[in-house]
Amino acid sequence: MPVTLTSKRHEVEDPADAIEFCFQRGWTDGLPVIPPTQDRVVRMLEAARLDPKQEIGFIAHRAVSITAEKVAINAVMAGCRPDSMPVVVAAVEGIADLRFSYHGPGTSTAGAGVLMIVNGPIARQLDINAGDNLFGPGWRANLTIGRAVRLVMRNVCGSIPGTLDRGTLGHPGKLSYVIAENEPHSPWTPLHVERGFRPEQSAVTVMAAEAPHQFYNQLSNTAEGILTTLADDMRISGNVMGQPHYALVLAGEHMRTIAGDGWDKQRIRQFVWEHTQNSHAHLKRTQRMAGPAQPGDETTSRPLVASPDDILVVAAGGRAGAFSAYIPGWSSARNSQAVTKEVRR
Amino acid sequence: MIELLDPTVEANTQSIAYVDRPRSLDGKRVGLIENTKFNSDRLLQMIGEILKAEYGAAETRMFRKHNSSVPAHEEIIREVQKTCDVVVAGIGD
Repeated sequence: MPVTLTSKRHEVEDPADAIEFCFQRGWTDGLPVIPPTQDRVVRMLEAARLDPKQEIGFIAHRAVSITAEKVAINAVMAGCRPDSMPVVVAAVEGIADLRFSYHGPGTSTAGAGVLMIVNGPIARQLDINAGDNLFGPGWRANLTIGRAVRLVMRNVCGSIPGTLDRGTLGHPGKLSYVIAENEPHSPWTPLHVERGFRPEQSAVTVMAAEAPHQFYNQLSNTAEGILTTLADDMRISGNVMGQPHYALVLAGEHMRTIAGDGWDKQRIRQFVWEHTQNSHAHLKRTQRMAGPAQPGDETTSRPLVASPDDILVVAAGGRAGAFSAYIPGWSSARNSQAVTKEVRR
Repeated sequence: MIELLDPTVEANTQSIAYVDRPRSLDGKRVGLIENTKFNSDRLLQMIGEILKAEYGAAETRMFRKHNSSVPAHEEIIREVQKTCDVVVAGIGD
């Protein structure tokens, strides 16, 4: 049955004109796009077996409906291969989920990107990088899937920098911020399984997030040593007072050392939660907590995250190098939560 | 010739019925919608005092949203409908 697409059509002379036309219309993220032609858009929809009219998400606070047709057009423009479309769709479902609360992280001056963590077989099938140069560059799937989501945010949801995206600084992850968990080499339960899916299912977790912060520990050969350094680096980071979600991205060497001591993700979360607390005295001295000093401030502590469960632990990054990263979430877990959606094919 | 499909959406048009603005605040009950940001309550409280002292507003009532990133929730809207004539919504940061 022929697919009927209802989007407005524009005629241009040739591919170079098409690219220029997309710039002129304000449809791009600042880089050239692939011209969204009927045949390319149809292939994208077919790869995810979607009807163009199907609603992928509804941004309640903006009253915006995101249809499969618009997701497909933007995925073509981003340079996605059609087989990436189901991941883009799952990520769009994630940011439209009320728990993600799109309007806040999409608009806020705090400048969040959408971190996307892909789990399950699709990560390997699409060659989504989970290793060297984790945050880029070099992998088409990582750079185009996130770019497609950002183009949907721009072109469908209206998150245009300077108008409804008021990020003061933004960060490079707002172009694309996609990683996979290194499940083949990870000694731990995959993130999506911890979040209620079966190992053989594929899923994408979206989290409104700041840029990754790399930390060094080239000295210790124990779990406690490495995580002590992590906690010390992380204790004052992000919106210190907000208690957002955090993602920890533990790369090859650190992963092997920590797992070698028998620590699982739950124990990592608990340790990091306990060792990233700040005293009220310090928060007040450093102008993060309001109010005059009170007796007991030195011994009263405030956790960086409300609960150990608000820390997402992901095994990913290159095999060599004693580095890992923590990623502060946007604002507060009260305002936006990480959401995991199944990738359906 | 190449035909491109438009990646944007056209906004659905909808009409919103606004109540007429009051000619005066004299005797009006003022709702203050606080968005939970630091000092937003103090800012709105001061505005409320000015509206009473200088514009004759009868009273003020403060409402607190769940968080700053979402619209005022249903309970607030219903309570405002019952107990207020005008509303001040603002942001403090």
